[in-house]
Amino acid sequence: MIPRSECKAFLDREPKFDDIMISLRAIARQPKGINSEVKRIIAVARKFNDEVVRPGCLPLDRKMHEDPDHLAWDYVIEANKRGFYTMFIPKMFGGGGYSLAGIAYFLEELASACGAIANIVGVHYLGVTMLFSSWNFKVINRVCKDVVKGYKEGKPCILSLAMTEPDAGTDSQNIEFMDTGSLACHAQKVPGGYKINGNKIFISMGHMSTWHIIHAYTDLNRASENTVMLAVKTGTRGFTFGKKEKKMGQKACPASELIFKDCFVPDENVCIDKEDASRLRSPVKDTNARIFAFIWAASRTGVGAFGVGTARAAFEDALAYAAKTEIDGQLLVNHEWCQSLLADMYKNVLLSRLAYAEASYANGLHGMWMVMNLKPMYYMTRYTPAGILKFSISALSRFGFVTNFFRKICFDHQKDEAIDRIDGWGSLAKVVGTDAGITNARLALEIMGHAGVRQDCRAEKVLRDSKLLQIYEGTNQINRLNLFKRMVAKPIPQAEVFSQANL
Amino acid sequence: MIKSENKELKLVEKAAREFSKKILAPGREENDAFPFGPFFNDVLDKAFALDLFHIQLPEHLGGMGHGIRVFCTIMDQICQEDSSLGGIIFTNALAQSVMLASGSEALLKSIAEQSQAVPDFLVAFSSLANPNDISDLPTAQSLDGSYFLSGALNDLVLGGIAKQAVVPARISPGAPYSYFLVDLNGGDVIRSEPVMSHGLHACPAVDANFSSAKGILLGIPGKGDSYFKKGFETLQLVAAAMSAGVMKGSLQEAIAYCNKRVQGGRKLKDWSTMQMMLADMTIQTYVADMLIARACQAVENRENDWQIMVQAASLHIQAAATHLVSDGIQALGGVGYMKDFGQEKRFRDAGQIQALLGHAHLKKLRFIRQFLHIGKGAGEAAELKPVIEVNVKEGGKRLTEGLLQAATLQAK
Repeated sequence: MIPRSECKAFLDREPKFDDIMISLRAIARQPKGINSEVKRIIAVARKFNDEVVRPGCLPLDRKMHEDPDHLAWDYVIEANKRGFYTMFIPKMFGGGGYSLAGIAYFLEELASACGAIANIVGVHYLGVTMLFSSWNFKVINRVCKDVVKGYKEGKPCILSLAMTEPDAGTDSQNIEFMDTGSLACHAQKVPGGYKINGNKIFISMGHMSTWHIIHAYTDLNRASENTVMLAVKTGTRGFTFGKKEKKMGQKACPASELIFKDCFVPDENVCIDKEDASRLRSPVKDTNARIFAFIWAASRTGVGAFGVGTARAAFEDALAYAAKTEIDGQLLVNHEWCQSLLADMYKNVLLSRLAYAEASYANGLHGMWMVMNLKPMYYMTRYTPAGILKFSISALSRFGFVTNFFRKICFDHQKDEAIDRIDGWGSLAKVVGTDAGITNARLALEIMGHAGVRQDCRAEKVLRDSKLLQIYEGTNQINRLNLFKRMVAKPIPQAEVFSQANL
Repeated sequence: MIKSENKELKLVEKAAREFSKKILAPGREENDAFPFGPFFNDVLDKAFALDLFHIQLPEHLGGMGHGIRVFCTIMDQICQEDSSLGGIIFTNALAQSVMLASGSEALLKSIAEQSQAVPDFLVAFSSLANPNDISDLPTAQSLDGSYFLSGALNDLVLGGIAKQAVVPARISPGAPYSYFLVDLNGGDVIRSEPVMSHGLHACPAVDANFSSAKGILLGIPGKGDSYFKKGFETLQLVAAAMSAGVMKGSLQEAIAYCNKRVQGGRKLKDWSTMQMMLADMTIQTYVADMLIARACQAVENRENDWQIMVQAASLHIQAAATHLVSDGIQALGGVGYMKDFGQEKRFRDAGQIQALLGHAHLKKLRFIRQFLHIGKGAGEAAELKPVIEVNVKEGGKRLTEGLLQAATLQAK
């Protein structure tokens, strides 16, 4: 019908098949076991929602209004008890071994009951993602051991990700802005480690986390080439907590200020620095850009799932209200105009779920969980006894070659177009999911009238919670530009993104 | 609001602006903490002393007797800083309007004359709903020439503060509702703790439960809906002016922030994406201003289609406000979501204001159904607007003239 070479040429034409048919490619390669895992974790999340989240989320939100300094330890302890903080940590590091390919579905379920409590769990995996993006097996092993110990002993040990600074939001998140931006968290190389000075703000779960995975910079004027990723433990001398922000929503998940004043971080807690990156074939700045792409591709997929969860919460609230409220002598749900709106809301949920599912598949093919998603790796880790895996990794992690091997696979051998794909789909999932959250929440308020604006009817809380999702992990404005850069601008060589030309 | 050449209006605008900047703005965050912080009684006292609760009340009843334009101007200014006070003024004015429409001037006069403090003067009202959309209104039983109300009424705004309330109730099951004036301090009204709401935290509602509470019938039995409509007709424009004020506050804060915040080595205002967002916000704010100015003109001149113009303007502005305030937060990024700035409050307030006078979608449906001769009261509406084509044409012409006039004034 058509020669193989001709077929390839057509498929490589824009829009490229590989860019737009992610799931079709991924499903054939993905281990089948992931399907049953995803079903199981959705059930686990629903059980948690029924038993813990739904009964408690509104009183908790009210409590946070009343006392903004309250920390929702009860929920963290309960999540820890159920193994949520170890669930997606690979078995070789002592975790539950569930594939990260399923985490977005898990987060959607949690967010469909409460955006704040979903964040209490989800933010930990932001920290985990950043830690894993360094592929430093020694540090990963040590930090994960603490998390697993915390699970076993009933003392939650969770991770935070710390990038944002008082004068640098977007600047700290995009390699393009780092050198012209206003970054101020300085890392000075001293014998045996780094000395850190500076502040981080808006750090989700900061006050409740044990380990903080942070970025600091040895040269603030050329930060893009001088980034240091460090793991800092709560209690380290020179590291203190500042204020907790007074947020509009997602109140149960504190946004914290982290203050570093001559804080010494030993070399053993350096995840990756310029010296490590220099050992790779790629220029240091490119490696840093790839680390960012891996982190954002994974985390923005998760935020997209949060958005879908809140869009679903709004839809479910509006539907329940319409099913029990009579207007003009008949149930609202039987008014044609209302049916159209509810159908629109349902559509928003389904379509935005497809977006994050595609992004998740992209991560499985080329992103953070690419290696763990390879069938031999997946089944080896699944069926090898945990003890053997842990012993092996503890032994192997002592040798630098394991870290170097994985860094070479992920940073040097990953094609640019694959990086574009994961980062582009991450941004798309984030924008689509979080916009759906706001759209549905607004519609819910409009459909529910005076009930919609009551805190005890939840819809207004969903709207408050949703709004944050359009802001963090890069505002949706920045994500649209990133989507353009990664997916749209490629075939147009004269297109410039994030440059003076855009002024 | 669109600048007017009217000196009196200018003075009113200036006074309202000074009040909101000096009295409201400094305590905005603290006042918004209610019901978990103190209620802003001191602000209410000052507003009362300045007759802000008397704006539309006729002079012979102790009010100021101002028209719609002055009312809108004041509410616009107040809501640029803190809409909670706006919500209180609005709810009280709606209750007053219903009382006036029912011919209960004597009762209003008595309330005004006997008021020593703010709560004595305020009248609670379920301003977040059209009673037609509430399936279980309280019932009113007649006994020896008096009425006694029983049943629940949720979201009675100012119910925890005001001495009295205007309450909708049905005299018999299925009958059209009537309005009653009820003393809330009697032991036969149980009021909940303040309902925690999305916005307007310092304009609290309560859930009320009436247990044979004595009520004074306002006007004619079963005519509640026509009294409500009377208040609705003009006060929806006041609600729109509240939204417009919120829009302006949000725009001003967004521009101020974009002028100073630097990201990526350049000020936010220099990013063309941000310029586009600010342009959208500015256009919507100006459009809101122009619509209100034109609708006020139509009300004042009692033009044939003034009700239609008021409804169209209000529906448009309230919906536009909910989108604009979302961009208002986006423009500030993370800090826009925090209580240290005014944007997050405006985001919530815009949603709450849109809920005033009933479901947004039902207001829209009722708007079009009067053209289409559908539903309850269609006959009445048909008189109002008999033929859509003619009205669209004539109304459009007048609207264009009005907008041109407003734009000329703005240019001056």
